[in-house]
Amino acid sequence: MDETVGPSEMIVHLGPQHPMMPGPFRLNAKLRGETVVDSEVEMGWIHKGIEKILESKTYLQGITIVDRICYLAAMTNEEAYVGCVEKLAGIEVPERAQYIRVIMEELSRLQSHLLGMGEYASFVGFVSMFMYTIRDREDVMSLIDSVTGARVTHSFLRYGGVKDDLPDGFKDDVKYVFGNLRKAIDNYEELYRTDAIYKARTKGIGVLTADVAKDLGVSGPPLRATGVAFDIRKDEPYLVYEDLDFKVCTQTDGDVFARIQVRLDEMRESMYIIEQCLDQIPSGPLFPEGTPYGKRSPVMRVPAGEVFHRVEDPRGEMGFYMVSDGSDKPYRVKVRGPVYPTLQTLPPLLKGVPVADIVAIAGSMDTCTSEVDR
Amino acid sequence: MDANSIISSLTGKFPEDICDANVESEIRTVAKVKPENVVEVCRYLKEDLSFGHLCCEFGVDYPDRNEIEVIYVIGSYEHPVILTMKAILPRDNPEVESVVPVYWNANWYERETYELFGVKYLNHPDLKPLVLPKEMLGEWPLRKDYKGFPNKTARNLV
Repeated sequence: MDETVGPSEMIVHLGPQHPMMPGPFRLNAKLRGETVVDSEVEMGWIHKGIEKILESKTYLQGITIVDRICYLAAMTNEEAYVGCVEKLAGIEVPERAQYIRVIMEELSRLQSHLLGMGEYASFVGFVSMFMYTIRDREDVMSLIDSVTGARVTHSFLRYGGVKDDLPDGFKDDVKYVFGNLRKAIDNYEELYRTDAIYKARTKGIGVLTADVAKDLGVSGPPLRATGVAFDIRKDEPYLVYEDLDFKVCTQTDGDVFARIQVRLDEMRESMYIIEQCLDQIPSGPLFPEGTPYGKRSPVMRVPAGEVFHRVEDPRGEMGFYMVSDGSDKPYRVKVRGPVYPTLQTLPPLLKGVPVADIVAIAGSMDTCTSEVDR
Repeated sequence: MDANSIISSLTGKFPEDICDANVESEIRTVAKVKPENVVEVCRYLKEDLSFGHLCCEFGVDYPDRNEIEVIYVIGSYEHPVILTMKAILPRDNPEVESVVPVYWNANWYERETYELFGVKYLNHPDLKPLVLPKEMLGEWPLRKDYKGFPNKTARNLV
């Protein structure tokens, strides 16, 4: 951004601490009157050096570290990391463990969307919605808690399997929670569709067209809101997603309203996927038989090689690139987060919008600074 | 479009610049590219082979070979194939042309590779640190020989 200001122009620093999204980042906006002329994103307040840390941790220790990349998507981060190692070492995951992983990842997508969507409503002045979603999210968190024993940083996946089996009565709990949640989501949708102020704040705001979104490298709900059915679960199926019936939710408008609608639809699909999994889940071992992976702390050496594995995060495409040199620690791990390209699109998206819409547009991306900084 | 035809099209178009091109599986291909012509190759990939989605770009340090690899992971919205393209640079003076004119979102990836590995991107629109403070520039923390700040730890200060 050009720092020189002309007559009747000024630079306003938004952040690093502000309610726009979880985590600190600074948006320097150059304003002419009420309009944003240019803007720039500054990152780095919570750079943790996770890629460097992973190089000095053994493969098993790495699982707990990748949880901390983004606490809302801990399960999918683990899946991407664990999937890399499984591809390199050629570990086959037993079917029951694969189903449990899908259930947990979809539950984590549910809670992430519930938070992202509800929190967004509070950005545009609809604070009671946030209270509703955070209340319903609590039930989903309890389901996750009942399986993994932790609310946000689970460390639940293991190479070749999962830490624990589903508890007794899990299916009934899910049935009970989803019954309420379905009603709640219909309720949210009706609130969003009928609230005149909310519609005025979100319809036709922050519009991305499909070509521009592809050019900017966006993935996840912001891309699907433009009509592009790009979903790693369909395009490059991992786990048992091939055997499951679900549709990729898209909208065509590409504005803020469409992004929230995509998240609402995706939550319904996630619940549908989980119910299918609970019906289809076979009994069997959690780890491949005759291997040391289920034991307490296997000293793992992964064959030398390079692999790129990507999964569908609540926010888009999450990928890990891993270089192994045959030792017990990865040589290099690159975390390709979905929010990183999304946050980058803020300056072109904010050009020419009024100041009041900055929060409405930036918040709708459901970004997480922790993941961008790593 | 499948992996074999992509690789044969790429090596046919750039016989000089692409080497070690290989098909790893149905959806994974690898190739090494000459650093001088990265931009032309990327433009061809994007416009003719519909590789429109840059997944990520980053560096890997190999001190024993005295090399830094810059890896471009390029995917597509039309087909499921991913191309992992490597440009090998000398470790003492790593310089490569920026691909921002082709892939807009390479901007931050290149800024990050610059501050963490010291790879200098030529013709980058705004090459400055992204996640590190300016004082850290020149430390190149993700290189393998980075020692941290042993002289600035709490033990040495008290």
